[in-house]
Amino acid sequence: MEGFFQALAAGLLIGAVYGLMCVGLGLIFGVMRVINFAHGDFMMLGMYTAFYLFTAAGVQTVFGNTVGPFVAILLAGPVLALFGYFVHRTLISHVSGTRTASLEGEGHYAQLILTLGIALILQNGGLIVFGSVLASIRTPLSSSAWELGPFFDMSIFLNKARSIDMIVSLALMILLSLLITRTRIGKSLRAAADNPTAATYMGIDVDRAHRTAFALGCGITAIAGGLLATNYPFHPFVGLEYVIVMYAGVVLGGMGSIIGAFWGGMTIGLVQQMSTLILPTQLQNAAIFAVFLLIIFFRPQGFFGRMVERT
Amino acid sequence: MLRIEGLSAGYSAKPVLNDVSIEVGAGQFVAIVGPNGAGKTTLFKTISGIVKPSGGTIIFDGVDLLAVPPPQRAHLGIAHVPEGRQVFPSLTVMENLEMGAMTESGRRDWQSNIERIFEWLPVLKERRDQFAGTMSGGQQQMLAIGRGLASSPKLLMLDEPSMGLAPSTADFIFERLIEIRRQSGLTMLLVEQRVAEALESADHGYVLEAGHVVLQGNNATLRADDRVRKAYLGM
Repeated sequence: MEGFFQALAAGLLIGAVYGLMCVGLGLIFGVMRVINFAHGDFMMLGMYTAFYLFTAAGVQTVFGNTVGPFVAILLAGPVLALFGYFVHRTLISHVSGTRTASLEGEGHYAQLILTLGIALILQNGGLIVFGSVLASIRTPLSSSAWELGPFFDMSIFLNKARSIDMIVSLALMILLSLLITRTRIGKSLRAAADNPTAATYMGIDVDRAHRTAFALGCGITAIAGGLLATNYPFHPFVGLEYVIVMYAGVVLGGMGSIIGAFWGGMTIGLVQQMSTLILPTQLQNAAIFAVFLLIIFFRPQGFFGRMVERT
Repeated sequence: MLRIEGLSAGYSAKPVLNDVSIEVGAGQFVAIVGPNGAGKTTLFKTISGIVKPSGGTIIFDGVDLLAVPPPQRAHLGIAHVPEGRQVFPSLTVMENLEMGAMTESGRRDWQSNIERIFEWLPVLKERRDQFAGTMSGGQQQMLAIGRGLASSPKLLMLDEPSMGLAPSTADFIFERLIEIRRQSGLTMLLVEQRVAEALESADHGYVLEAGHVVLQGNNATLRADDRVRKAYLGM
């Protein structure tokens, strides 16, 4: 019983971070309808950016070992958002948005090849620049825990770093949903996603909306990556491990639903942690996809299928 | 206000519009009628910038429209109420109207505009928090019109507002449009297949067939024209 609650707690903690990671991708897919295969590698860049901001750019000396990593992680968000903005402007915009009308298959083939190419360049470029040695953003909090309880003679231990990761993820998620549902920018992003042509008639610059979504999506996933890096070591090819989980999360949540992507990621985190109760650790990912298939079998449109609510 | 001269446009190799010239004066209500595939919707899309013309000029309010990027055209004062309504289904009625008011003038006049829109189209007020995708066709059409009005346009372009609606609903929408025009004096450009109603309410009309303007005149001339009477009015 204690094991069950311990796994549940661990699942909720990691699930919130996975949720944030998926939301970054979900935002890009939801608004642009572009499948970004390089998204895991943008996250990898986010991890290294946070790592170097912490160790080399002075964040460690100014903020110390406990707060410093989280400051560096949050700063990596805007850095990667800028990078995403630049990548969209120079590359992605040529095969998406208003340019798709003149491309075969609405530009999907070109988008596929382009994002796969970006992924390869980032992975191998990362190998040259960062090397193949595992890196991690360790804080003293990574190896200590809060004890909850005891309730009915059992205590639950919450890893401090992961708990803060969850709090940061939830806070960002709340900010993002306020941005999407309440602000003029958020509403115009949703309008551009719903009907790009009609959005143009309203005076919304659809390409600019796409650029905003792409930059935001990269920034959000970069922060999620940094948060994961407080507990998991990483390397230049780490994106591959996570991009599959991101897609599973986005599909589970319902393609195009931004809030749905968060719950999709949360589900994956929960399944991953709970599966350790009955399965060997090596089968964690197999368990994720078994549950994924099961959910998709009964609910092919995902939790928040289209047309219900796309926020 | 809007002057189109010698406009030609099409998709890839297939020309749809051929040397079309149309003029809409300030305060006028102009109707463009004609059969399916005559190029009416393409004409509107060219004005809005979704279709690029192969020749001709469009001058709006003294500005060469073809030099203005498509999303900027709304900011000049053109509101396009598109064929098939095209409301934003996952946005609420109110949010759809806010999207209409993305232009500077729409933002400035938001309060007074929204009051007038609710007065003209009260169903939008009743359903202000409903998702647009869950409304009926007629309600969506009214929302599309309201969304166009929310930008405080100088020119309201309506592409087949009666399309796919029950005759009584279409009649109601026409009646609303005439009332809106009467109260606001707004310049309107209407594309319609319901030729009788369109010609009846407009000041001036153009008949578009296979990409050409084959006939034009004020509403009395057109309604008296033998070809129009035979082909469109069933007389």
